[in-house]
Amino acid sequence: MPKCIIDGREAEFKPGENIIEVAKRVGVEIPVFCYHPGLTVVAQCRMCAVEIEKNPKLQTACSTPAAEGMVVHTTTPKVVQNQKAIMEFLLINHPLDCPICDKSGECDLQDNSYKFGSPYSRYTEERRTYLDLDMGPVIKKNMNRCIHCTRCIRFGDEIAGIHEMVAVKRGNWTEITTLNSKELTTEYAGNYADICPTGSLTLKDFRFKKRSWFLKKTATVCEGCSRGCNIEVQEDGNTIYRCIARENLEVNKYWICDEGRFNYHYVHDSARVLEPATKGATAASLTSTTWEQGLEVARNVSAGKKVVFLVGSDLTLEEGQQILDFAKSKYTSAPVYHFGTPTVKTTQEDGEADPILKMKSKTSNLNGMEKLGIKPFDPSFTGAEVAIVFRGGRAKLPELKSMKRIGVGVFNLPQVESYEAILPSLSFVEKSGTIINFQGKEQKLKPAIRPLGQSKAIAEILMVWANGGKKA
Amino acid sequence: MLVKHKKSIWYEFYVIDIAKGLFITMRNMLFAPNVTIEYPEVRRNYSDRFRGMHYIKSVNGVENCTACMLCPTVCPAECIHIEAGERPDKEKYPVKFEVDLLRCCFCGMCEEACPKDAIKLSNIYEMSVSQRTVYDKSYLAEQRGNK
Ligand code: SF4
Ligand code: SF4
Ligand code: SF4
Ligand code: SF4
Ligand code: FES
Repeated sequence: MPKCIIDGREAEFKPGENIIEVAKRVGVEIPVFCYHPGLTVVAQCRMCAVEIEKNPKLQTACSTPAAEGMVVHTTTPKVVQNQKAIMEFLLINHPLDCPICDKSGECDLQDNSYKFGSPYSRYTEERRTYLDLDMGPVIKKNMNRCIHCTRCIRFGDEIAGIHEMVAVKRGNWTEITTLNSKELTTEYAGNYADICPTGSLTLKDFRFKKRSWFLKKTATVCEGCSRGCNIEVQEDGNTIYRCIARENLEVNKYWICDEGRFNYHYVHDSARVLEPATKGATAASLTSTTWEQGLEVARNVSAGKKVVFLVGSDLTLEEGQQILDFAKSKYTSAPVYHFGTPTVKTTQEDGEADPILKMKSKTSNLNGMEKLGIKPFDPSFTGAEVAIVFRGGRAKLPELKSMKRIGVGVFNLPQVESYEAILPSLSFVEKSGTIINFQGKEQKLKPAIRPLGQSKAIAEILMVWANGGKKA
Repeated sequence: MLVKHKKSIWYEFYVIDIAKGLFITMRNMLFAPNVTIEYPEVRRNYSDRFRGMHYIKSVNGVENCTACMLCPTVCPAECIHIEAGERPDKEKYPVKFEVDLLRCCFCGMCEEACPKDAIKLSNIYEMSVSQRTVYDKSYLAEQRGNK
């Protein structure tokens, strides 16, 4: 591999790699604003300028590919002076908004200003201000904070495939806006907030909810569709506040869709059943009860009947296997089927729903359920009296009119009013496990929060179901 | 071996020392300046830097606080609880602002951290209550002490 020298450190690189990426690998940080590894390079902000020997002028590290024998310096007086000048220039019109800005704490402008800028401003003239038009339900715009890096424009153009964001006017008055001031239409709008290096584009959903430094982060996998995008769930006090994309070049690169980003809301839904609930002999609706009684009802309803097991394809491999074992040992010859997206029953029917990330299967582990040998559920199935439904939170419940139903998993009360018993279990952010995405990649879920309410892991529920009850 | 010293009878009965002690007591009682005050009729003037009960400063009836959460971040006792919200005349304001004074150690770091000069410690030092009280925003906005 060819080699170059960055700040005295020898660095190997693949031909074509730019200096920023090579420097990152050997532990040299070059500040950037407009450069994003997932977007084209425009070399617009000039923050990344570095000194290259035998080159009379500073060169932007984002647009300069590393070359054999190149000697790069990132901390010479010339470079530092440039960084100071750029920071001062960017902050000329920047409002002192950090106390009310949701980006604060994870803001590139803040960080770079702290590390490379000067604490004083020489600017005394009036600052430029903009009026902000609404950008739709996902993104809140605040153009006063914009540094015109055009990352958002490039994201729309190159990734979301829709040129919605544009820069109008020129020079000092450049304004980033949507075409004809329309609302954003892309289903990937949340990424605008992720990539904007300032607080000009922020999530409406997260607005003023929490300061970013309070959030504890867990790296996990999205369960929104069979792609299994890598996400980071951010939580404080056992409440999830935000999901953001995590880099994985083989699955989702740097992006996630809005459906996946906001999917976690069902976890904290007030209608979610968090206590064991049963329909008594007389009561018409579900009433909460204890675990002992809930399980007792479940045992009684299913005892001696023809039982069918329905496994949501939003459950993990481990859970699928536990259910299979349970069905085999306790309800001999009871059939086990998986359900999830009514239109996508097998991985053959699965496919890309759009050219970006979304897949047709709206559950994450269809591939895994097939690997376990579970067959898809046919809605016209009538060969059982009792259906035991296991569900993770996203699988679409099939209509099971002629059967008595017991639910184990995550349900919202209105969905399951006609069920005999509900035994609450864990959603994807409360448990660990393995899911297999459409590419056949195994990925791990990690628990971000402690189980809510009285919900318990499926393994635990099945264990007590099988071994508890009347003592022989 | 114990050695017994022979002492005079005056010394044995401490007569002189008792008289000396009484003299000091009487001198202090009758002539020394008072160090205690007759609280609550008389009150002490504390220094301006005294750190007492919190208050939220307002300008023209609008609280200075923008709910930036720097004070709960810095507070070592974790006794400030703020919830942020939006209203037409102010982009971000504290919908809820509570200080649990029983946990507060009056270190004054919240005052120091505040970029808006909003949370301040007043000179009020009479804070005893008969049950645990968490002071809310409207209460804190009225407390000014002598500032
Ligand atoms: S964009 Fe960054 S620097 Fe500007 S107000 Fe927001 S946090 Fe502060
Ligand atoms: S809105 Fe954000 S991403 Fe877009 S140009 Fe401005 S600073 Fe860059
Ligand atoms: S004075 Fe100290 S302990 Fe009390 S609220 Fe302020 S920061 Fe917290
Ligand atoms: S530091 Fe000041 S402005 Fe910020 S939340 Fe506390 S009182 Fe309000
Ligand atoms: S990051 Fe290189 S010019 Fe902006």
